[in-house]
Amino acid sequence: MTVSGLVALAAGVTVDKPTGFLGALATAAEDFIKVFNKGGSVLLSLMGGILPTLIVLLTAVNALVRLIGAEKIENLGKAAARPGIQWYPVRYIVLPFVSVFMLTNPMAYTMGRFLPERLKPAFYDSAVSFVHPILGIFPHANPGELFVYVGIATGIQQLGYGLGDLAVRYLLVGLVVIFIRGIVTEAITAKMMSRAEKAA
Amino acid sequence: MDGLTNLIVKIGRSVGGVVGTLYQAGRDTVDTVIRNVIPFMAFISFIIGLILTTGIGDWIAKALKGSASSLGGLLLISIICAIPILSPLLGPGAVIAQIVGTLLGVEIGKGNIPAQYSLPALFAINPQVGCDFIPVGLALGEAEPETVEIGVPAVLFSRLITGPLAVVIAYFASFGLYTASK
Repeated sequence: MTVSGLVALAAGVTVDKPTGFLGALATAAEDFIKVFNKGGSVLLSLMGGILPTLIVLLTAVNALVRLIGAEKIENLGKAAARPGIQWYPVRYIVLPFVSVFMLTNPMAYTMGRFLPERLKPAFYDSAVSFVHPILGIFPHANPGELFVYVGIATGIQQLGYGLGDLAVRYLLVGLVVIFIRGIVTEAITAKMMSRAEKAA
Repeated sequence: MDGLTNLIVKIGRSVGGVVGTLYQAGRDTVDTVIRNVIPFMAFISFIIGLILTTGIGDWIAKALKGSASSLGGLLLISIICAIPILSPLLGPGAVIAQIVGTLLGVEIGKGNIPAQYSLPALFAINPQVGCDFIPVGLALGEAEPETVEIGVPAVLFSRLITGPLAVVIAYFASFGLYTASK
């Protein structure tokens, strides 16, 4: 008989609450198992709730990425290396997005090889900062770290709200943030590199 | 007749290729789910169970409620997580961010933290993302050792600026999020 079956059976019979030393032990045992009963029901709701959708979605996107072919995005990497202000959005918005989407965490960072040395830290910063904002809509990019988003999203779900609004805003704000992060890190890297050159 | 055979072979091959790709994608997915997703779900479920059934929950709720339901509190969280010495320690596997995220989710679900704060909170708990991984990430991008030497502190210092900034941007972007229905 399962634990929950036993509990249900016990609930049907009324006995005096156990007292004394053994009673305390019994209460402690009940409290102990309560933690895992609750955890088990949370696990079941997660596995029954998001897992089936996740598996189907991951399969579809993984197949799409394979059919397109990851090598197709190499030209984008070369374009992002070009100097000039108009290439900043390509380097710190489009390239991180496409790399994280197609190559996923952690292979997305290999796209940095197309950039000159002084831009590599900024690109890494930009790309790595996008592996969570993308999760709301494209969880295939980083399924191992899903709960950064899902943890908070579960709370929203409990309130009965839809997750679309949060997922879209998380993605869009994420794009703005990685753009700023790329620019700031590029500036800091440039300053530190020129200082290192002077010292050498 | 040869042309027809060729056509049939061609169609058969491409269909086979697509089906094979889909099948392989499914295999990869199940592999990831079993190896990465379900173990984390088990671990998170245990933590949630512990929080919901013991007094820990109330204690955490009190601590988080003050800091996570105001812009100032969220900024403070993001600054702490972005401190260059702390951020590489908090980074690995995003475990800290995932646990804190789950704790916040529980509190949001209970109504202790306004739902609108979910968006800035997502950024406040995560300015340390990837800070543990900078040398490896740069190496994957085939960076020279000199670049790594400068790149690590450059990214860490940048986070001190962009971490709190991200929270502010997210805060302003969260206007109108889950508030109309109240």
